[in-house]
Amino acid sequence: MLRTTLIKALNAAKLSPKHVSVVSRASSDVAKKPEKIEVFIDDQPVLVEPGTTVLQAAALIGIEIPRFCYHERLAVAGNCRMCLVEVEKSPKPVAACAMPVMKGWRIKTESEMTKKAREGVMEFLLVNHPLDCPICDQGGECDLQDQSMAFGSDRSRFTDIDFSGKRAVEDKDIGPLIKTIMTRCIHCTRCIRFASEVAGVDDLGTTGRGSGMEIGTYVQKFFLSELSGNVIDLCPVGALTSKPYSFTARPWEIRKIDSIDVLDAIGSNIVVSTRTGEVMRILPRTNEEINEEWLSDKARFAYDGLKRQRLVTPMLRGSDGELTPVDWETALLSVGKVLRNAGSSVGAIAGGLADAEALVALKDLLNRLGSEDLCTEHTFPMDGSGSDLRSNYLLNNKIAGAEDADFVLLIGTNPRFEAPLLNSRLRKAYVHKELDVALVGPKVDLTYEYDHLGDDPNVISEIASGKHPIAKKLKAAKKPLIILGADILQRPDGGALLAAVQSLAASTTPSEGWKVFNILHKVASQVAALDIGYTPGVDKIRENSPKVLFLLGADEAAIDKSDLPEGCFVIYQGHHGDQGAVIADAILPGAAYTEKQATYVNTEGRAQQTLQAVSPPGQAREDWKIIRALSEVIRVPLPYDNLNEIRCRLHDVAPHLTRYGEAENANYFKQAEELAKTAKSSNLSGSPIDVKIKELKDFYMTDAISRASPTMAKCVQAVLKQKQSKY
Amino acid sequence: MSSHAIRAGTKQVRPILSTDRHEARQRVLNLYKAWYRQLPYIVKQYDIPKSVDSLKQKLREEFRKNDHLQDIRVIDMLVVKGQMELKETVNFWKQKGTFMSYFKDTVEPKPKDFLSKFLSGHN
Amino acid sequence: MARYLGIDKVFSVLNIIKENGGLRASLYKLYRMDELKLGTLVGTDKYGNKYYQNKRFFYGRNRWVEYAPQYYLDYDGSQVPAEWYGWLHYKTDLPPDQEPFRPKYKWMLDHVENPSGTPGQYMPYSTTTPKIEAWIPPKK
Repeated sequence: MLRTTLIKALNAAKLSPKHVSVVSRASSDVAKKPEKIEVFIDDQPVLVEPGTTVLQAAALIGIEIPRFCYHERLAVAGNCRMCLVEVEKSPKPVAACAMPVMKGWRIKTESEMTKKAREGVMEFLLVNHPLDCPICDQGGECDLQDQSMAFGSDRSRFTDIDFSGKRAVEDKDIGPLIKTIMTRCIHCTRCIRFASEVAGVDDLGTTGRGSGMEIGTYVQKFFLSELSGNVIDLCPVGALTSKPYSFTARPWEIRKIDSIDVLDAIGSNIVVSTRTGEVMRILPRTNEEINEEWLSDKARFAYDGLKRQRLVTPMLRGSDGELTPVDWETALLSVGKVLRNAGSSVGAIAGGLADAEALVALKDLLNRLGSEDLCTEHTFPMDGSGSDLRSNYLLNNKIAGAEDADFVLLIGTNPRFEAPLLNSRLRKAYVHKELDVALVGPKVDLTYEYDHLGDDPNVISEIASGKHPIAKKLKAAKKPLIILGADILQRPDGGALLAAVQSLAASTTPSEGWKVFNILHKVASQVAALDIGYTPGVDKIRENSPKVLFLLGADEAAIDKSDLPEGCFVIYQGHHGDQGAVIADAILPGAAYTEKQATYVNTEGRAQQTLQAVSPPGQAREDWKIIRALSEVIRVPLPYDNLNEIRCRLHDVAPHLTRYGEAENANYFKQAEELAKTAKSSNLSGSPIDVKIKELKDFYMTDAISRASPTMAKCVQAVLKQKQSKY
Repeated sequence: MSSHAIRAGTKQVRPILSTDRHEARQRVLNLYKAWYRQLPYIVKQYDIPKSVDSLKQKLREEFRKNDHLQDIRVIDMLVVKGQMELKETVNFWKQKGTFMSYFKDTVEPKPKDFLSKFLSGHN
Repeated sequence: MARYLGIDKVFSVLNIIKENGGLRASLYKLYRMDELKLGTLVGTDKYGNKYYQNKRFFYGRNRWVEYAPQYYLDYDGSQVPAEWYGWLHYKTDLPPDQEPFRPKYKWMLDHVENPSGTPGQYMPYSTTTPKIEAWIPPKK
């Protein structure tokens, strides 16, 4: 049933009345607003749009109808029957989630009939649900548990235990992230709908019917998707639970701290659950502007990387060439001595996980020493206006804005793995709003269909000149988006590419306030670093060959020993022993994103802050404090002693950095485009456009935290294993 | 004019014990003398490993701690507190350990400036 | 007569000094063990500790050990091997070489003194895995 409706939806054909709620948004702005109709819920009148379901109408006046299968962001299935309500003059109770309201209906959500219906449904559900709540990971946050307390019968009539017993279903192995206990499943099909609608992998489905019905993958295979972890949250019972989290903590004994994910540039909002000073799990936090209520698997499961490969004590390279642990005083004094001797010949490279506070402190420190060689690890072309104009390097149209687009041109990016939640937005628009997507770059699986325009960069100029067939579409589009991957700008002709895309964006005719030109970054720190005034790319370090190099969490090996002059002293400050720490002569242990209150700016220019969930391990300290302490040792003390003061400094540098939750708009597109034309290298090279992350196995391990994560390693193994299987 | 009245109003406070600084000072000195005379007996009574001289030094130290105070009401209050302390000491309501807590030999002062806070891990 | 005048005490002191190997050796022994006693040598163990007995002293003080010279001042009760322990603590009156039932097997380990306070001492350690695994720098 679901399958057919979905295919209909995919083909953008007429939708069944059941899906009216899903398309209502799309159709509402097309035709003139139809008249509202009045219905009465528990004798309270409410005016709703035609096509609203009973459940939605009830939600409008704050009456919550119990449900298992219904979910706001998924298609309506109507198979759990928990939302049955009485409608006056209707002989049978109706399923509130699937029934559109009619004029003048009187709906009773607390009537005797409704209560009885709920109790009956609950009884049937519990007949085939095991009573293993005490050992179930969902216990305490289980919809079935809660609703059976609220709406279920207070005694059992279940006596069949001696004859056929309770239904039992064999567990399935669907990968290293999701643990299945299929006996607990109540067949709400949320996971199936999520997989096929949002994640775009049609792996899950049902087999059998009646009491023989099972949810599964049909054949023995893994459910592998970059968004697979969300089915754990969706599952109303304990059938799908988190494998890494299994049996580690109970919901009532954990402490929840709101935070921000920094493993991609989207800046998803998360809740960090901790217990006994340890991160137990990470869950998404609803933010309609960014991640809705989803979370990518890397953000959700890479937290065990925070417990491995950590730098817990300062280290210095001794005369024997080995790194040996020292205390902070020794480390600061010897690093300070080196820095003082180096004078202004100091360079710094900021990595992808650096927070804005540390970035600004490091910049202040180096500026005080007389150096301007502050770079980010990830390049951005500095031709034309470069990083001077903010519109050059932002996802200007915002993440939520991607849903409204009618044509998207992706250049040199694979949003599915670089920003899974942006891709889910694009997919949503593709499924529900007839979005057309075209892609310049290698052919990848985006979970939706797109026009592949090849990987030749000259296609861009062809489109701009109108020769390419896709040009017509781009011109005609009212809300076109061009999303440029930040990765391809690292090419030698990146500046030319940027200029070409900017002029292409300028040639479109978007509707008012619509921003066509968008950059999709891959790392969380890049926008903040560029806002603060870091030079993108490490070329400056190579040219100036400094005596001391300060790596602030730079782990991508953008620079190695051979690029540096002989005897260059490398200081690594960060939280993981990765590629940066290996080449370092001094290591200053910093805090990871769950261990500090820090500011990050996501790819759309939205400043958000992480909150401290656990304390930094061992002798690790918050990053900006290390730099502040170091500055005092080398007698150029920075003028901030606490978080407030450094936030004031951030505010001085760029006020939007402390306007948390707000995305600061950028403008001057016209000027940026004009300036880009003046760039020196205006010739595109013929080398094909490539992206680094092409498939799922590349997605899991992209930074120091996820590289240290055993769960992520298991995911990569699972992908490789899946490839060898015959399915 | 009105600001003058406010200033006058805020300056003139109702005295609790002393009416002027001189009287407050007199009270402080009296308390100091009372303590001072009691010190040799304290050493004997409490059997503490301190000499009278070191107690005298400590006494001066304790008084000097508050030498920045200007408000006579605060001074009066501290004097009353000091009298209470003295009474407790004289009547042996305190125990040896309680009295010895004036001498916090092993207590290290908490770090104040950024660098020492950083090095000691107090953030 | 001598006894009456208390001169026999002087004689016995002189005798003790003589039995212990002269004035110099006696002073050394006194320095090392804070004690100078006269007794009959009952036996010597393989580590060089000498075991003495003198029934003149009361029970509890009439058997003693003089630790081997290599220990100097670092002697310790645990340096007495198990076979002599019994004799020294009056569990038996027979020294080990005269004891017929003392088992002797090839697999019996040599006596080890208490290693507390030395690098060989036992240190209790946690068997739980640490919450945070530290990075260990690669060896060159």
